[in-house]
Amino acid sequence: MVVKPGSVPDFEALRELFKHHIESFDHMVDAGLDTAIRHIKAVECRQAKISYTGKLTIDVCFQYNDGPVIRETLNFGQFPIMLQSKLCNLRGADPKKLVSYKEEASEMGGYFVLNGLERVIRLLIMPKRNYPTSMVRNSFSERREGYTDKAVVIRCVRADQSSLSIRLYYLRNGSARLGFWLRGREYLLPVGIVLKALIKTSDREIYVKLTSCYNEKYAKGKGVVGTQLVGERAKIILDELRDLSLFTQDQCLEYIGEHFQPIMPELKQASYSIEKLEDWLQKGRRLIMDEIDKKSQKFDISDIAQVKKIMDKNSSKQVSAAVENMLKTGRLVTQTGLDLQQRAGYTVQAERLNFLRFISHFRSVHRGASFAGLRTTTVRKLLPESWGFLCPVHTPDGEPCGLLNHLTRTCRITSFFDSQGKIKDYFKIKKSIEDILKEVGMTPSVPNTPLPGPPEALTVLLDGCVIGCIASSEVEKVVAYIRELKVSSASVIPDDMEVGYVPLSMGGAYPGLYLSTSPSRFVRPVKNISIPSNGNENIELIGPFEQVFMEIRCLDGGDGGRKSSFPATHEEIHPTEMLSVVANLTPWSDHNQSPRNMYQCQMAKQTMAFSSQTIQHRADQKLYHLQTPQTPIVRTSTYSKYNIDEFPTGTNAIVAVLAYTGYDMEDAMILNKSSVERGMFHGQIYQTETIDLTEQSRKSDQSSRMFRKSNVEKSAHPSIDSDGLPHVGQMIRPDEPYCSIYNEVTSSTHTFKRKGSEAVYVDYVAVDVKNSKQLQKVNIRFRHPRNPVIGDKFSSRHGQKGVCSQLWPDVDMPFSGNTGMRPDLIINPHAFPSRMTIAMLLESVAAKGGSLRGEFVDATPFRSSVKKDDEGSDSKSGSLVDDLGLILKEKGFNYHGLEVLYSGVYGTELTCEIFIGPVYYQRLRHMVSDKFQVRSTGTIDQVTRQPIKGRKRGGGIRFGEMERDSLLAHGAAYLLHDRLHTCSDYHIADVCSLCGSMLTTTFIEPQKRPVRQIGGLPPGRTAKKVTCHACQTSRGMETVAMPYVFRYLAAELAAMNIKMTLKLTDGAEVGA
Amino acid sequence: MEGASYARMPRVKIRELKDDYAKFELRDTDASIANALRRVMIAEVPTIAIDLVEIEVNSSVLNDEFIAHRLGLIPLTSERAMSMRFSRDCDACDGDGQCEFCSVEFHLRVKCMTDQTLDVSSKDLYSSDPSVVPVDFSDPASSDSSESRGVIIVKLRRGQELRLRAIARKGIGKDHAKWSPAATVTFMYEPEIHINEDLMETLTLEEKREWVDSSPTRVFEIDPVTQQVMVVDAEAYSYDDEVLKKAEAMGKPGLVEIIARQDSFIFTVESTGAIKTSQLVLNAIEILKQKLDAVRLSEDTVEADDQFGELGAHMRGG
Repeated sequence: MVVKPGSVPDFEALRELFKHHIESFDHMVDAGLDTAIRHIKAVECRQAKISYTGKLTIDVCFQYNDGPVIRETLNFGQFPIMLQSKLCNLRGADPKKLVSYKEEASEMGGYFVLNGLERVIRLLIMPKRNYPTSMVRNSFSERREGYTDKAVVIRCVRADQSSLSIRLYYLRNGSARLGFWLRGREYLLPVGIVLKALIKTSDREIYVKLTSCYNEKYAKGKGVVGTQLVGERAKIILDELRDLSLFTQDQCLEYIGEHFQPIMPELKQASYSIEKLEDWLQKGRRLIMDEIDKKSQKFDISDIAQVKKIMDKNSSKQVSAAVENMLKTGRLVTQTGLDLQQRAGYTVQAERLNFLRFISHFRSVHRGASFAGLRTTTVRKLLPESWGFLCPVHTPDGEPCGLLNHLTRTCRITSFFDSQGKIKDYFKIKKSIEDILKEVGMTPSVPNTPLPGPPEALTVLLDGCVIGCIASSEVEKVVAYIRELKVSSASVIPDDMEVGYVPLSMGGAYPGLYLSTSPSRFVRPVKNISIPSNGNENIELIGPFEQVFMEIRCLDGGDGGRKSSFPATHEEIHPTEMLSVVANLTPWSDHNQSPRNMYQCQMAKQTMAFSSQTIQHRADQKLYHLQTPQTPIVRTSTYSKYNIDEFPTGTNAIVAVLAYTGYDMEDAMILNKSSVERGMFHGQIYQTETIDLTEQSRKSDQSSRMFRKSNVEKSAHPSIDSDGLPHVGQMIRPDEPYCSIYNEVTSSTHTFKRKGSEAVYVDYVAVDVKNSKQLQKVNIRFRHPRNPVIGDKFSSRHGQKGVCSQLWPDVDMPFSGNTGMRPDLIINPHAFPSRMTIAMLLESVAAKGGSLRGEFVDATPFRSSVKKDDEGSDSKSGSLVDDLGLILKEKGFNYHGLEVLYSGVYGTELTCEIFIGPVYYQRLRHMVSDKFQVRSTGTIDQVTRQPIKGRKRGGGIRFGEMERDSLLAHGAAYLLHDRLHTCSDYHIADVCSLCGSMLTTTFIEPQKRPVRQIGGLPPGRTAKKVTCHACQTSRGMETVAMPYVFRYLAAELAAMNIKMTLKLTDGAEVGA
Repeated sequence: MEGASYARMPRVKIRELKDDYAKFELRDTDASIANALRRVMIAEVPTIAIDLVEIEVNSSVLNDEFIAHRLGLIPLTSERAMSMRFSRDCDACDGDGQCEFCSVEFHLRVKCMTDQTLDVSSKDLYSSDPSVVPVDFSDPASSDSSESRGVIIVKLRRGQELRLRAIARKGIGKDHAKWSPAATVTFMYEPEIHINEDLMETLTLEEKREWVDSSPTRVFEIDPVTQQVMVVDAEAYSYDDEVLKKAEAMGKPGLVEIIARQDSFIFTVESTGAIKTSQLVLNAIEILKQKLDAVRLSEDTVEADDQFGELGAHMRGG
């Protein structure tokens, strides 16, 4: 898609990707926060390093003894606001307006601005809510005597999104215990007590209900779930109650009450809470309620004024502060634990290193910090449930592999808002679903009457509640009907409802019909082919739970690997929907070896690209910027769908694949010097320094400090203007001052000096004049020019990275006899055989053809799988390579992309034809200028007198044990001695040969200076007199060369009362 | 110089000559000379390009270095370049680029006052020397001169301003690509194509057509009358060996014989506009001569002779 200049591109597709963040915040706002918008612009927050917040006011209602309700509006402080949420003033602004707000035209929001930093809330994977899962874990059996390793776990989530995990442990004697956590302690109850306490019932009813899942009639048929053991176990559970002599509901309640009396208030507390994936922001609400709770417990005086006073004392502002702090640090400070697995890492900074990295922050899902430490790899595996929801390609390799996943392009998260953006009414939804199910033959569940179990009937659960059962012969029809309604009439059945139909099976999952309408579930669109449609009317949203039991056909027309025919009811929309946005941008990724696509996803996120269009208005710590970006000639359909052209990441470089000069060995690459000089891969780093006088100074001299140039040394720093700030456009060399602060009290000036090793330019200076009369806060943005140099890193879009090894003169580059073309970049052919990045070769051929024809080339992967659908449209030969080759041939080029090149040095034809063509290359952010480390002499460690480490401090690189070993192996003893001793902590120590000590030696200052001076010559150096303190003589003094640490060791040992003696011998004697 | 002279007398035949494009044949010499000529044209023929920029005001969206870099890449008419001095060895000035022998001063003062985006282009550069001006790319054929605005440097919106002083100096492409006068210089060996007519006749028309089509460029054609395969454009052949491979695949090796002539070259020269191509070639030859003279004239050549023996003798034109 080519966007005409002036026309406004459509960013809807892009916005869609960020929707879940915004929706969750909106829900939080709807669900009880009343926040007034402060009219401040997000840009200003970023600049001033403050937070984008709004005033949070809360209506507190008091009611005393059925009296009238009294409403009081309270100020709860500044509450962080998510950008583009309902409360944000950017909401609904069109691109033009956004630009006028100094925002990105495509600003998608979904993050918070806190202290000028953009932070996103991380998505977390949690167990499916209200769905029991059986588990086998060794730790269960260690819980207490008599416990087995088996348990059933359910995470219960209430309407207010508070959740609690409950475990049902299976005991060795056949009974079960219900375990739940309160305040970090687990409490265990015999399950029978709970069953009885919940409802007025009899033992018989319990027995029947418990055993309803098993019927002797069916013995061992399909879909039978229990054995006769069920009955026995039920008996054991009931017997247990009898032993405790608890027979009625009241007795059970009494029993529970007795035991839980002391922790009751805590029980209450646990009910305020939070949510799963993204919505857990509701912590704010919990805190507020906590707050209110505390107060009402302490005082129940009916005087509002007094209550208000107490409330004021109980600083309500801390609620907002707590939320803001949580967002800033990602750490959750809570007593109850909120049924969440981890305490930290809930928010991350949304880095704008480049656009792809930025998007990925919003689309990433973490499995949970607790899994990161796990030894087993099972949690990292790709499961069938996650097909189409989590991208199999886009996950980092190494430590977080498989734990940090990314949502696929089409994956959405259900929220409290339906597709029209209206708030869902769950009560109504539940009602209408129940009505429809009854219509189609569901037997509704009635208390105290047992429902038949499988295999004759399947239980129907709606969000974890049993609502009835359906005869198993009917259920398939019902499911199909519900699905049809889901697609056709969203008002009756919500379109994002999950119809988890678990069919009867032999030893499979517990059969039933599990319906869920709750928010925070993954959904993705597929085509329901049982519904006739010619457009998009048959798109159904499905969830991960149901998809395992569904028959979804892939577009390649395959049979899914089964022998019988494929009874498909659904069909994927496009194969690329299983990939994340970033993975989708790799051209023809289906032709690459899979790890290469993974590497590319990593590298795409570290390219130095066109990171922002509002670079003028940004004050990020560090911002990478590519000066001359280009749009790729070869691109996928996703590229245009998400308008990546707004933030391009690379350059179409003419790449020749040949071994030339040897400087392209081992993944090095040769850049054409002239191409670089003409602007290829030019870039810069923008770095902002914020100087805040209020922050740095103690309170006393706050007002006395100001930005001003020193009066005394006026001429000293020409780079600083009289206001103490640098000139814009000024070059500042290392160790030159760029900013000056004058202290009126001490009348001293303090200058800020540039660190580092390269000269920078002052790009821009912004001052904050909003808060006080005097200038207190200043942003100074520096520009580091970063044009390619030897050692910079580049990569293609296929996980082929390399380091520039030479900037080779243009005339020495090989050239084409016909066109005179010289490559911009030379890579080694050895980069291909083992890595098998065929798509890179295809890209080269395609881009060559594309540029000859003046067209972009569509490189959407899985072309061959989709093609069958729209046959005849562009099938010349079928094979991709043929299509590309023919284009080249048409234009008079070699079919395979080869060209005859001539040596630039000799002018003779190179002996073989060279593969050459344009490939989209990205410049990675790793640059030598940030990394090089060099040292001859310099600072040393005070204790050991060895060279220090660390690039920043001018230290060296450790010459470690393994390096030592290799030198030893080479027999390079002198070099070894030089490195480890002479160049390190060479030291000449005085040792007393009599006592062998080197610590007892002391210098004796010559008492009288010898006055004799011979003929005006400087006095001959008198030998330093050293004596041994212990022996009281200087007779046995010798000098020994040793590493200084050895002396240090001796001193340390001496401190522990261990004496070290040296026995000195002449070298000759040793040899003898 | 005694002994037989190996000196050859290269011949040049110009096929096409435009201001920015030339095609000529170079015969009776070898690849070393041809390549030397190519290399000199790209990297060592001097031109004038902006080298020093002093920015007074820049409130545009592009940063100073970016604009300076763009200014540097604007081709300037450089007919004078050969007679100018390099500013590093200019006696008249101390190298600050103020003198007429080695530098040309440019001024640019633009401010956008309207709501319409203003394109600042090379036309806005005012030169102190009328012979050194930004190259005019407007097509002389089309009378609509207002259309062409030169090379765009930056675009300004209302209130933005760009004011600068720039000094152009003489330089060569070896130092920086901006001084390269040539967009492309390339040469190819002239191909000699011999069709084995006897073998060709054994092919059917269908096979002939297939064979002819195997070449990506139009080198061969079938005579519609005689149905004979003939060479239409030997130079279109890109030494891709496609036809040879095809002949082999058809089981007729030796169907055609293609020899790259080692002593004749077809040059294509494209200029950036700084110098006319004709001048570019002449300058290149001039510089090549100078370089050879430098080798010949240097005083230690005789000593070098002892070291390099034959090579030295050869250099002196032996």
